[in-house]
Amino acid sequence: MAAMTDLFTRVPLARRQQILTLLVAVAAIAFPLIHDNDADVDSAANAAAYATLALGLNIVVGFAGLLDLGYAAFFAIGAYAYGILTSFQVMPHWGPFWQPFAWLELVQRVPNPGGDLVHFTVSFWIMLPVSALIAAGFGVLFGAPTLRLRGDYLAIVTLGFGEIVPIVVRNVDSVTNGAAGLNGVQAPRLLGHSFGIAAWPYYYVAIALVALLMFVSVRLRDSRIGRAWMAIREDETAAAAMGVDRTRTKLLAFAIGAAFAGATGTFYVAKLQTATPEMFGFPVSVMILVMVVFGGMGSVWGVVLGAVFLQLLQSWFLEDISGWIHDLGNLIHQPWMLRIDLTESIELIFGLILVFMMLYRRDGLIPATRKQSALSFEQQHAEVRRGGFTALAGLGEFAREGHTGLEVKGVTVRYGGLVALNAVDLTVPAGGVVAVIGPNGSGKSTLFNVITGLTENDGGVIRFDGKDLLGLPPHQILREGVARTFQNIRLFTNLSVLDNVLIGQHARLKTGPIAAVFRPPGTRREEVAARVWATEILGLFGNRLLPRATQTVGHLSYANRRRVEIARALASRPKILLLDEPTAGMNPAETMELAEQIKSLHALGLTILLIEHKLDVVTRLADKVVVLDHGEKIAEGTPDEVRKNEAVLEAYLGRGTLAKGTVDA
Amino acid sequence: MTFSDLLLQQTINGLSLGAMYALLALGFTLVYGILELINFAHFNVFMVGSFIGMWTLQLMGINGQAVVMTGLPLIGVMLVALFVTMLLSGGLGVVIERLSLRPLRNVKGPAAMITTIGVSYILFNIILLTVGADSKNYPNPLPPIQWALGDAVLRLREVLIWVISVLLMLGLHVFVQRSKMGKAMRATAQDPEAARMMGVEVDRVIIIAFFLGSALAGAGGLIFGLYYNFTSFIIGFTAGLRAFTAAVLGGIGNVPGAMLGGVIIGLVESMGGQFIATEWTDVIIFSILVLVLVFRPSGLMGRVAPNKS
Repeated sequence: MAAMTDLFTRVPLARRQQILTLLVAVAAIAFPLIHDNDADVDSAANAAAYATLALGLNIVVGFAGLLDLGYAAFFAIGAYAYGILTSFQVMPHWGPFWQPFAWLELVQRVPNPGGDLVHFTVSFWIMLPVSALIAAGFGVLFGAPTLRLRGDYLAIVTLGFGEIVPIVVRNVDSVTNGAAGLNGVQAPRLLGHSFGIAAWPYYYVAIALVALLMFVSVRLRDSRIGRAWMAIREDETAAAAMGVDRTRTKLLAFAIGAAFAGATGTFYVAKLQTATPEMFGFPVSVMILVMVVFGGMGSVWGVVLGAVFLQLLQSWFLEDISGWIHDLGNLIHQPWMLRIDLTESIELIFGLILVFMMLYRRDGLIPATRKQSALSFEQQHAEVRRGGFTALAGLGEFAREGHTGLEVKGVTVRYGGLVALNAVDLTVPAGGVVAVIGPNGSGKSTLFNVITGLTENDGGVIRFDGKDLLGLPPHQILREGVARTFQNIRLFTNLSVLDNVLIGQHARLKTGPIAAVFRPPGTRREEVAARVWATEILGLFGNRLLPRATQTVGHLSYANRRRVEIARALASRPKILLLDEPTAGMNPAETMELAEQIKSLHALGLTILLIEHKLDVVTRLADKVVVLDHGEKIAEGTPDEVRKNEAVLEAYLGRGTLAKGTVDA
Repeated sequence: MTFSDLLLQQTINGLSLGAMYALLALGFTLVYGILELINFAHFNVFMVGSFIGMWTLQLMGINGQAVVMTGLPLIGVMLVALFVTMLLSGGLGVVIERLSLRPLRNVKGPAAMITTIGVSYILFNIILLTVGADSKNYPNPLPPIQWALGDAVLRLREVLIWVISVLLMLGLHVFVQRSKMGKAMRATAQDPEAARMMGVEVDRVIIIAFFLGSALAGAGGLIFGLYYNFTSFIIGFTAGLRAFTAAVLGGIGNVPGAMLGGVIIGLVESMGGQFIATEWTDVIIFSILVLVLVFRPSGLMGRVAPNKS
């Protein structure tokens, strides 16, 4: 046994995964051949259809973190799209307009005493992608007005849409045949043969669909698009500040998730050859959610396993288990046990699964992120390369591109009655280092927030390199070359150091969803270059971060998290870097190390605006110091000038200091 | 029936529905105000409350509409039924909070909301499996007294519903505004961390919010049964969604807003059913929900926009 495990662990992880994938694929393909039972193959085909739904919902809930409780609506849309375009439900009058479609075999002319009619006969294989597109369109339509809302509101609005779609289907019976349902939906045909009613052709289509959508899911997940989704899931504000267009990215997740459901709807209704509104109600949305939660939100293999397991539990095992309970009841003469019927309790089981998974195993059966071992003692205590650096290919070039610096004029921010910033002026010349200091609550972080578009302002002008920043969304401000860190560290906690830094490059990369799936050479090159660049950025901090590149940032020390945040900002190739208390929480040695590194960044050509409490850091770095107090600029000058300024002393040491001795007043 | 009588009749109906939705909406608002959590379990606490009310009335010997009472016995029976229903429903809310939500208090993301969906499902299916899928005739001891207002009819049960709802809502309002615990609740809603440091027992505040919200939902369930003369395991979903819309419309987290929203949604339902078509009622109400969230996310009376990140 030990030898087996030893053999197993000696095979590299990636190879082990390949072998497992191959074994699962062979088993799936061989199943109908070795198990000649039509009902069981049919159940397996249904399970595969639910697996594709779970994969789609996983993109929305697992990757992008948007709770969609009306997902079955898209399933319905795909189903009815195919159903209407192949059944005898909608039959307009024949006219010359339809002739070209008849040549394309999309419609048939049906003789009818009252004038000939049109019968739609669109092929299943055409409708599969078309339904996906239609559902994606509805995804955008439903998503666009609501995705600006915070997540829990989105849940209830999607729940509403999930209810509206079946109601509309029920009420417009001229198109859908209402509650009675669409009948006579055509089975798919391939090479002139109809699929008919045998289960195995549907089974193979279903597992091919699962394989395809798993592939698409994995490709998307490991791309610029997937990283943006996860960034939004982890911290929306930080994602926006790092250049991710929130609305677009969420809409994309919504549309792609909907597309998966649309295609599945077409498959499902082609298999059943009927569709009723009840097939797409709230219980279906919840069931798919249970599958995703059970398998592991964000885990591609997990949600497929969850869907297959729960579906087969329903169709295969519950009856057996109920039977065993009845046998046991007969054996020990407990009549109440004979009344138990687990197949009726499936929804109760779903509810219990949701609660127990959330309470005890939120990562699901197969967690999306695997546990990492900590660094070895040697790795942790490897000699730290201290101090600054002098060169980094590429970093200087973009930073030295001429710009005219940052100009803040008369900026005012009010929170209700409180004036957080009052007509503040500030200029950071290109290539300069300016420090903003001031007591707590003096408006320093508000200043950063208004520059980076996270807070709305009540008047004033902010220009960078001649461009007006006010009114721009945060992701465009980053694109202009303004990158920031946060006082209370806002990293993407459950992602690796490398992914965090890669997300920093989001605005500088181009890969779209299609390129992410097909990975043409250009995309591969871009991804490799992005990783090289990220590694170089991590290298700026000596061996502080490089050995930890694949670690989850949530497990890093406080100081290292601060460094990752700076690295993430640098990865976006900024012209000006806004650092909000970069050395907070660091010990004196670490503080000086970071100060040296910031100095090196400056030497490489970066313009820096810095909030800092530690005056030795300020003195060492800044050409100019701006002092804020109660939202107003009270002083400006070189570090030495500011140090002697009376207003500054008063702000820091209290109004009473000028009248020493009256402390108790 | 003349148009004005029709309008009057639908106003009477709408106010009765609205009173019920308002009671239910208050539970959403109390919990959301403090935990920023949409509590889907609330849907079916309402449904279970309706059954608790039914069983309580049956225990007092009232079956169907056969037993009619008047005067003091009627008031006594109603008070007992209301008290027991609210107490047990409130207790159910507290149990749900303790067992399934407190462990997730500090977990980020949708975990807590998913848990409430699970709890809601569990309640729904327990009732379905134990009581059965058929709807139940609701015990109702009210005498068939009614007043004609032109062609419109005002029944005793509607007056009773209004009286119960108004008293409960006034009671809640006074509690939240005047009592020490109410002040603690408002403080916790503003800033739980600061409230904790000022000596507020946040866990207790949350328990009280769940108790009150669930008790009011139970009262709403009782009212549902008395109004429609039936109850069933499925009543939670539609009523819950409408009440949630009411809470959002009034401004979620805002107690008077929930009452106002409830009344508006009740009127929309009765008028929409009369002048448009009953089968489109839910579509109209969800459209209101979406429009409010998109154009005025803070609702009619709320101050804090819900799309802060």
